[in-house]
Amino acid sequence: MPLDIACIQRARPSNPILYYPTIGSTMIEASSLANDGASHGTVVLADEQTAGMGRFGRSWLSQPEAGIYCSILLRLQLKPGSLPVASLLLGLAAAEAIQKATELICDLRWPNDVLIRERKVAGILTHLTEGCIVAGIGINANQTSFPDGLRTPATSLRIESGGREQSREAVVIHLLEAIDSFCSTLKSEGPESIVRAFTRASSYALHRRIIIEETGEKGTTAGLDSNGFLLVQLDRGKLERVAAGGVRPDV
Amino acid sequence: MTIDDIKELIRVVQETGIAELEVRRGENSVRIKRSASGSQDVVVPAVLPVPVAGVAPPVASVPAATAQDTAPPPAVTPPAPPAEESRDVIVKSPIVGTYYDAPSPGAPPFVKVGDHVEPKQVLCIIESMKLMNEIEAETAGTLIARHVENGRPVEYGESLFTIRPA
Repeated sequence: MPLDIACIQRARPSNPILYYPTIGSTMIEASSLANDGASHGTVVLADEQTAGMGRFGRSWLSQPEAGIYCSILLRLQLKPGSLPVASLLLGLAAAEAIQKATELICDLRWPNDVLIRERKVAGILTHLTEGCIVAGIGINANQTSFPDGLRTPATSLRIESGGREQSREAVVIHLLEAIDSFCSTLKSEGPESIVRAFTRASSYALHRRIIIEETGEKGTTAGLDSNGFLLVQLDRGKLERVAAGGVRPDV
Repeated sequence: MTIDDIKELIRVVQETGIAELEVRRGENSVRIKRSASGSQDVVVPAVLPVPVAGVAPPVASVPAATAQDTAPPPAVTPPAPPAEESRDVIVKSPIVGTYYDAPSPGAPPFVKVGDHVEPKQVLCIIESMKLMNEIEAETAGTLIARHVENGRPVEYGESLFTIRPA
């Protein structure tokens, strides 16, 4: 069944929402809107993406009417150096939305993979264009299976709740609420508040054995610095600050 | 970094006429600086240097005269004509992250040394915590140097490109 956009728009009147039954990528449309000056909180939602985007041109599986394919514009009044904290914020918001809509508990893998039982349930991609953050959020809602060979094993809200179909509208509404709420916290309490919230919510922030994706080096996580960068005590002795890419568990 | 790599960089400095070029490759770093006579000084520091803030014009250093100086003033020499380098624009990284010269692995780079660039043209991406920050040219001109290699970490304020305004 297609998304009930009227229901979402009634619950979130402050978010201008553009809906497409089918689109190449919500990110392309949202970037174009950002360049045209669209306001903070503008949302692009689709029931199907024919060219869903992941990091670095990787694809994001976008099965029709099963997942949530959403891009949102954030115009945050932050110094450029503080903007990357938005990546942590979006992961926190997606995890909170899933928990409120489904009661499933999520973990966060730095910087913003949303996991349930170490399987990816949501992925986030952010672009900064002319001072506007364009955030793509993909949430696996009602998929019942995933192909083999994905970079990270995937799961869906439906799989994790014993096969029960989940309301995508409820997840989207909670997602937009949570983004709003964390943006308010960021504005009033500063980027450190988001870093602290992420540290509390993520099992990857401290004492986790990990491999740094970009270098292949192994180590143990040692918290986040004030900018939100992950600190890793490398096995070879050095304390490394990871600013880009991601980490995966060293199992 | 090999001797051949350094020779290649010297050739780039000679051909483009830029005043100073700094390249990092892993733990190695080399800085090539054009002296007033037009020859190049190659400096390979043992430790990573502080990122350069800009291109220094190639002028000989002269002790500054002060009002208290009692010695006769030095012979007045006509000021050198403004070097073209002084107009060069350095594009710096606004965030800490990783430098990428193309939108995806294997894709052609956004720009190459020698290209003409226009304002708002994307020059590279700096990724920081999965935030892809598109760095755009603010000036029309010729891209005469790229200071960072693809996939390398960059610091806040680090020089990325030099553009010679059109």
